[in-house]
Amino acid sequence: MPSDIDDAALDYLLARAGLSLTAEQKVELKTVYAGIAAMAERVRKPRGRMAEPAHGYGFAEEDLP
Amino acid sequence: MSDAIPTIAAAARLIAAKELSPVELTRACLARVHALDGELHAFVHLTEERALAEARAAERAIMASRPAGPLHGIPIGLKDIVDTKDIPTTCGSKFLQDNIPDTDATCAEKLAAAGTVLMGKLTTHEFADGGPSFDLPAPPARNPWNTEHFTAGSSSGTGAGVAAGLILGGIGTDTGGSIRGPAALCGIAGIKPTYGLVSRAGVAPAAYSLDHIGPMAWTAEDCALMLQVLAGHDPHDPASASRPIPDYTALLGSGIKGLKIGVIHHFHEVDHKVSEGTQRGIDAALATFRDLGAELREVQLSPLQDWAACGSLISITERAAAYEEWSRTRLGDFSERMRSRLILGALVSGVDYVQAVRRRRELRAELQQAMAGLDVVLTATQPAEAAKIDAVPKWDLFDKPGFTMPFNVAGYPAISVCAGFGAGGLPVAVQLVGKPFQEPILFGVADAFEKATPYRSQRPALVSTRTAA
Repeated sequence: MPSDIDDAALDYLLARAGLSLTAEQKVELKTVYAGIAAMAERVRKPRGRMAEPAHGYGFAEEDLP
Repeated sequence: MSDAIPTIAAAARLIAAKELSPVELTRACLARVHALDGELHAFVHLTEERALAEARAAERAIMASRPAGPLHGIPIGLKDIVDTKDIPTTCGSKFLQDNIPDTDATCAEKLAAAGTVLMGKLTTHEFADGGPSFDLPAPPARNPWNTEHFTAGSSSGTGAGVAAGLILGGIGTDTGGSIRGPAALCGIAGIKPTYGLVSRAGVAPAAYSLDHIGPMAWTAEDCALMLQVLAGHDPHDPASASRPIPDYTALLGSGIKGLKIGVIHHFHEVDHKVSEGTQRGIDAALATFRDLGAELREVQLSPLQDWAACGSLISITERAAAYEEWSRTRLGDFSERMRSRLILGALVSGVDYVQAVRRRRELRAELQQAMAGLDVVLTATQPAEAAKIDAVPKWDLFDKPGFTMPFNVAGYPAISVCAGFGAGGLPVAVQLVGKPFQEPILFGVADAFEKATPYRSQRPALVSTRTAA
């Protein structure tokens, strides 16, 4: 994940999210993009494809017929 | 009655002995509300008539028999993201100014069934995030120790209200520290219980898999009394745990000799160095625990930044999902701080989220392994004394990782207790973390600390100066 984002990429992400931002809000969002990118990098570890997420899907007693 | 503000435990004993009337107790709290809340802004909605009616009903029942339990006749408040039947629940937002739920949240229902006296709804950051905000329908709560300073949030009104004795206990919610932060900066006790122990049903979400409901009160003992009522399985909360409920007061007063306390020094000394006052509070707390006979051990975990990244990515994404519809259609109606947090969701991909949730499993396993052979671990709750309310940074989450989020990520129970006073006479705190569903041990350690230190005998100065006859 790059540590900065250009206007076109930001506009794409915002459009995809359905958000309509002012020019000022977009400028501020660009300033914190590096922080998000750093977080996204931090959670990626060499763990292999078999490593499961913490949130599992399953059936509780009340889900069973 | 005495001018001193009783703890819940002390008030319960007096009520049971018929030496304190719930009506008198409620009137004393209301008097403090009228004297102080114009400045503190702890309440967004005061239910004075209802409180007096409930207090009278409690008094009648107790005089006819005996209290139903230690919370019978005790004045409490609920954070304003907790649904309350026939009482406005605004979540601190313009979106819900006219919202009057037709049912109680499970936690509100349980406290009512225990005979508490509901004083009203307490100030929160909008939908329990961001803040302090000055562009919401109600002003932010202010710190009773110095009203120029922040309470932390998002359970800001609960923190201020308990510290100033407007209520004896209250409900907070905690997604990344929203119970423990205000507890720390307002000099009170607040516990985020194990994930799933207290039902989230009827409470507005911040981030589903990180949200916890818990009590805030003057002492750990009071929190234990409240948790006793709040804990338990609820089929209306899909994450609710189905486990036997122990006696949360069982280990109070039994001492902590031989207990093993792990200290995560690197969190507060390296990863995010705390203020001098906070460090002094932590050092003094460790000396107290040593004097009480506990064994201290060093604990090493992944850097605080790893925990913060994991929790923040999950939190940002789940919040953006919860409030997506309003974000798309009425973004301008959110407070500026909440809006800024919500739009971060556009920058986090689905894969980022899943990687964060995979990291979460690893981090939880790491904490589990580190706590093998330990009873609790300790670190800071907040990095420093409360900042000025108009100087709270907006984007702290990127460069100054919080000390509380790791235990939302892990779901482990964590309590903040007052550890003295630092710069400007403002409270500092330590955070104690237990193993899942081992709240009795956590309360035992926190209670021993409170009883060995003098900090529970000092209330904010404004309580005595502004309420003097």
